[in-house]
Amino acid sequence: MLDILSLLDITFFLLAAMGALIGIIFGAIPGMTATMAVAVCLPLTYALGLHHGLALLLGLYVGGISGGMVPAVLLNIPGTPSSITTTFDGYPMAQKGEGERALRVSVVASVVGGLISAAILFLFAPLLAEFSIKFSYVEKFLIILLALTVIASMSRNMLVGIFSGVLGIWLSLIGTYSVSDGGNGHTRLMFDFLEPYLFEGFSLLPVLIGIFGIATILLEAEKGVKSGLAGKEINIGKGGGFSLGLFKGRLTNLVRSSFIGTFVGMLPGVGGSAASVLAYTQEKNLSRDSSEMGKGAPQGLIASESANNALTGGALIPLLSLGIPGDSTTAVLIGAFTLQGIQVGPLFIPENADTWYVMMTALVFANIVMFFLMFYAIKHIAKVVLVPKYILYPIIVMMCVVGAYAINYGIMFDVWTLLIFGVLGYLIQKVGLEVAPLIIGFILGGQAEVYFVKSLESFGTYSIFFTKSPIAVVLWLLIAASVTFSVVMGLKSRAKGRQEMTQ
Amino acid sequence: MESGLTSLLSVSIDFETSHLFFPHIINWLMGGLFALILVFKVVPFLAAVRRGEETLPILGESMDKFRFFGSIALIAAYFYLMAVVGNLFPYTGYGFLFVSMAFVFLMSMMYMHTKTKRKVITAVINALVAPGLAWFILAKLFQITLP
Repeated sequence: MLDILSLLDITFFLLAAMGALIGIIFGAIPGMTATMAVAVCLPLTYALGLHHGLALLLGLYVGGISGGMVPAVLLNIPGTPSSITTTFDGYPMAQKGEGERALRVSVVASVVGGLISAAILFLFAPLLAEFSIKFSYVEKFLIILLALTVIASMSRNMLVGIFSGVLGIWLSLIGTYSVSDGGNGHTRLMFDFLEPYLFEGFSLLPVLIGIFGIATILLEAEKGVKSGLAGKEINIGKGGGFSLGLFKGRLTNLVRSSFIGTFVGMLPGVGGSAASVLAYTQEKNLSRDSSEMGKGAPQGLIASESANNALTGGALIPLLSLGIPGDSTTAVLIGAFTLQGIQVGPLFIPENADTWYVMMTALVFANIVMFFLMFYAIKHIAKVVLVPKYILYPIIVMMCVVGAYAINYGIMFDVWTLLIFGVLGYLIQKVGLEVAPLIIGFILGGQAEVYFVKSLESFGTYSIFFTKSPIAVVLWLLIAASVTFSVVMGLKSRAKGRQEMTQ
Repeated sequence: MESGLTSLLSVSIDFETSHLFFPHIINWLMGGLFALILVFKVVPFLAAVRRGEETLPILGESMDKFRFFGSIALIAAYFYLMAVVGNLFPYTGYGFLFVSMAFVFLMSMMYMHTKTKRKVITAVINALVAPGLAWFILAKLFQITLP
């Protein structure tokens, strides 16, 4: 225990606090997300050790998710996709001059959501890791298959979702079938002249930074980088008006929404908007009086904000116990771990107990810092919403370059990868493909190949994927369930659409 | 019957070509899915475009061509020149520093809609300070490799 305390120095806490602050700023500026914050700040962690780096990144993650509430309440623009339901009740409150009160309710809900999910993470991740430690290649392959199926079935359209995931896997296979994974070291899926550049395939982080950094900027550039906020006034309202009494009778809502957020966070590739929308609709269905929701009721804010902050702990569960990222931000965190030479998966927690406790400390501390920063300094933070994009965007591109270039100690091709995947990410989003399954496919594709081929090499039959163990059967049932769920939901919404057409 | 199924499912992978085994499956899967999307999504969508109910993405939409293609061109030039200038001063990160300053300024000017003296001065200060600070912290303090 003393070992761990010695790892927690002043720098550690300062970095977590700084991360939370920068995260809040990123989250608060519409068009910039927590994922972008983590991706852009990655180069800073190259020079820090693992624990200091994690403190910074987790701070950014928590801050980035929370910051989205600021423009959602004040300007009716969700700062991050996950704060979309915060606009429903937050903006009406701001218009009534209760902006500060709305923000403070959101902040309290956020910190409760974040802490509840951290507690679930702390209890649940080691259990899941212990369980999955016995998995052979067969089960590991099926877990990846399950992860991809879940993401695809949560997409707007399952066919498109699956295709995006498979495209991601395809991209990850470019390069060699690595000898260190038991492959034969031959290259595939590329032209010979590209071999000097692509021998090891595309590096993970430049791909992610390209898709989340450069592509976002291209999407904005296409729309002309309008400030959009010119002439808008921030009306935060008079101070006060907030008391914990607002939470009276709302505890069920708070806890329920936190659990919903954590659970949705655990599902791989399912973003924050799903968490807050689900919590919001549940509150609407289950609460005794939901007539005020959508017109400025604090209960809507509580549901939305506790759910989206609970996402953080939830998304870390599959990451730390199975090595599968729960959302796009944790996907970037995988990159940060790899960078520090740490493989996340079932062995991570037992073999890196120190790091595990340090991460938990950073997560809880970041939530607390976020709370104090937002609760007491919200008036000043609210102003960053108005920082012009023509100042911010060039800086983001510059930071993306640093991140990509330094990752493999100075390879210019990694910088070009940024542009390649920036343009690709732009095209993907324009033609309606889905980014989340693609990214998860890209991250897990290489492992999927190794597990699949090794399973077949040792057992010599495809039937092994069904007969290996009871767990394999359970995994197949879960895969079938998620496909059925998606098909049923699809039919339902189609029937609903038809009904509306005839009316 | 039993043995027929077993032999159908049995598989042996030649080590020499094992690097192509999984990619082959993925290629076929991707091809199949693409065909399905073509039939169920793209064809109905194109029909809707022809009827005028939908517009083609990218081609049919209005876009800020100057800022979009300008961004791509500027970023490409930035990456290219960074390496060129960086080779003139190896291991100093000057390539990053100087080219970033120019890039940040030009991109700011491109994204600025109405140019006032005040805004341009802000952009100039930003273009000098931001890359300078990034270069100093990363290359000097943290010893990170920069072009």
